[in-house]
Amino acid sequence: MSTSFEASAETEVVLPAHLHARPAGALVQAAAQFSSTMEISYGDKRVNARSVLAVMTLGALAGSTVVLRARGADADEAVKAAAEVLASAE
Amino acid sequence: MARATDWTIATPRHRRCVRYCRTVFWNLPSELMAEPVGIVLVSHSDSLATGLRDMLLQIGAANLPVATAGGTDDGRLGTSYHRIGAAIASVDKGSGVAVLTDLGSAVLTARAVLDDLARTDVILVDSPFVEGAVAAAVIAATGADLATVRSAAEEARDVHKL
Repeated sequence: MSTSFEASAETEVVLPAHLHARPAGALVQAAAQFSSTMEISYGDKRVNARSVLAVMTLGALAGSTVVLRARGADADEAVKAAAEVLASAE
Repeated sequence: MARATDWTIATPRHRRCVRYCRTVFWNLPSELMAEPVGIVLVSHSDSLATGLRDMLLQIGAANLPVATAGGTDDGRLGTSYHRIGAAIASVDKGSGVAVLTDLGSAVLTARAVLDDLARTDVILVDSPFVEGAVAAAVIAATGADLATVRSAAEEARDVHKL
């Protein structure tokens, strides 16, 4: 079966702060508000955006770029919300 | 005078609005309406358990039900059947309780408490203490159910730091 009808969305975020425990927790909580699945990638690492431990292992540093990819009916809203959380992290 | 609650004279726009609101409320996932899963931290050390609790409240959510059972009844290093039982009762909000332990006798004492409680919604989680608790707290704060909280915590066994 083709799944081409499934929506997907992608956006890049330049991190204002290291992606350490607190922002990682905030990202998971933002991603969990949506039914879409979401991944976050940094360099060649790509992990589930709902797993706080996996997000922390990315070791993404302030000033670097991460990519958020969502797949599902509310993919657009999901990446927007997650990007907002990351962009306002301290 | 036309009122929005009067079906005979409500405009199509009013009707669409009411229909939309009903759809939204009827389709809300049940976990969004429920209390979060409770988390209990069992440690030989009271300060280790309360320090970890502080971290969870900051990374997860400040209003998450997290209770500690650290040390013995007289404040020494060790674990207490009574403290664990009281901690479980204090975070039992109806969505289940996940109990995390540091090591050794903490596991045995917690298991004894859980055996006596004999409830399927109060479970011992097999995970590293700190990582498992952080994973459990973050996912519990999203309104996830007990099974999801357990699997998030147990995933911590396979996540490397480096």
